Amino acid sequence: MSSSLLAFSGHQHLRHRLVLSLLSGKHVKIDKIRPDDKNPGLRDYEISLLRLLERVTNGTVIEISVTGTALLLRPGVISGGPVVHECPLSRSVGYFLEPIIMIAPFSKKTLNLTLKGITTDENDLSVDLLRTVTLPHLQLFGLSDGLELRIKKRGATPAGGGEVQFLCPTVKQVKTLNFVDQGKIKRIRGVSHAVRVNPQFSNRMIEAARSLLNRYIPDIYLYSDVYKGDESGKSPGYALSLLAESTTGAIHCAEAISQPGVAPEDIGLKATRALLSEINRGGCVDRRHQTLVLLMMVLGSEDVGRCVMGEPTAKTVQFLRDVRSFFGTSFKVVPADPNDPESAQLSYSCYGTGYVNANRTLA
Amino acid sequence: AELLASSQKNKRKDWIKLIYSSDLTPEEVLHGKKAGGDDEEVDDFFTIKHKSDMNQMEVLDMGKEPIDDAELEKWEDEELLESIRGLFITGDDTG
Repeated sequence: MSSSLLAFSGHQHLRHRLVLSLLSGKHVKIDKIRPDDKNPGLRDYEISLLRLLERVTNGTVIEISVTGTALLLRPGVISGGPVVHECPLSRSVGYFLEPIIMIAPFSKKTLNLTLKGITTDENDLSVDLLRTVTLPHLQLFGLSDGLELRIKKRGATPAGGGEVQFLCPTVKQVKTLNFVDQGKIKRIRGVSHAVRVNPQFSNRMIEAARSLLNRYIPDIYLYSDVYKGDESGKSPGYALSLLAESTTGAIHCAEAISQPGVAPEDIGLKATRALLSEINRGGCVDRRHQTLVLLMMVLGSEDVGRCVMGEPTAKTVQFLRDVRSFFGTSFKVVPADPNDPESAQLSYSCYGTGYVNANRTLA
Repeated sequence: AELLASSQKNKRKDWIKLIYSSDLTPEEVLHGKKAGGDDEEVDDFFTIKHKSDMNQMEVLDMGKEPIDDAELEKWEDEELLESIRGLFITGDDTG
């Protein structure tokens, strides 16, 4: 492994840079982290994420400057194993799980991670979507047995109190992806939950969602997930998470979360409309999972992987640039259907690096 | 579908060039460079921070982007709801 150093600036895109560093073994230096801010430097959740990464690895050295505006990461071995982590209440567990899901398959031992904190918020994917949408995306790459996210307790903002357990098996190598047919939507699933409020709210969201969705297909199952007492966390809140699955296994998702003074019906409609808008965008991969899928394609065996998706998000654009810095891999991004100028679909293809989980073979 | 087509730029972008060999920030790649006002030109990769940028809310490293309420309003339109029927197994191919 080369130990060359890559330098970046700014607090943005911190998570995927840390992930790429851990996977590639390249050292990474990030400076100018909020230098002009009233409260300069790393935030508590970023420090917490660094701690968590330190825990799931072995031999990782993280140096943070006195002011907190610069950090140096010397990645160690991704070790996995049982880890318990308390997430700060400034971000939900989704913030921490998203990068963890990217590195966990390449650890030495099966990762058994317990995260405590907020389970659903506005900023990051909720645990429901991570469980029902993100994990199935890993299955495309040959990861399935023993992959699990258990929601033990829910925790709404601001006080949290939720708890989830993430189990991830290790792989030697990920499969090459060839996913170019988005298929047609065959079923819609959803999880609606309400904690520390009238449990009827959950059903009201489902009814509102059905009023829009029933016209399309009969295979709709929206589950009302009830958590009682201690399992429902410390704050009141409710949310509806929806996903649409196609005949070829493409999954699109959307969710909406309770806001003060907004009726549950409106939250239900909001989630449903957001889902329709995602379906309308098309592609084989949901927008929020572009980076995960692209990362796994880069790490795939030495063969050409292909995937059709919509336009990249800003996050994806930066991710593609950073992937080239870390792995030297660039993607070919061309219109999926050159004969149809109306189509916004793009075909992403790259030659896999043939990444082998060296950590596992050591065990 | 008409609404969508008009909102999208029909102009084809060269994505490979935009992503890998341009100095534009990811936001500029997607939405086009802001016209005018950029007197102090970009120094390589880093842009000079404008006063206005500093007062803005910090852009969080988020797993999902905020839902655009304005964008969702168009889904109140019955015609649009019907227009995506073709994307479901029950719809015909012409949809």
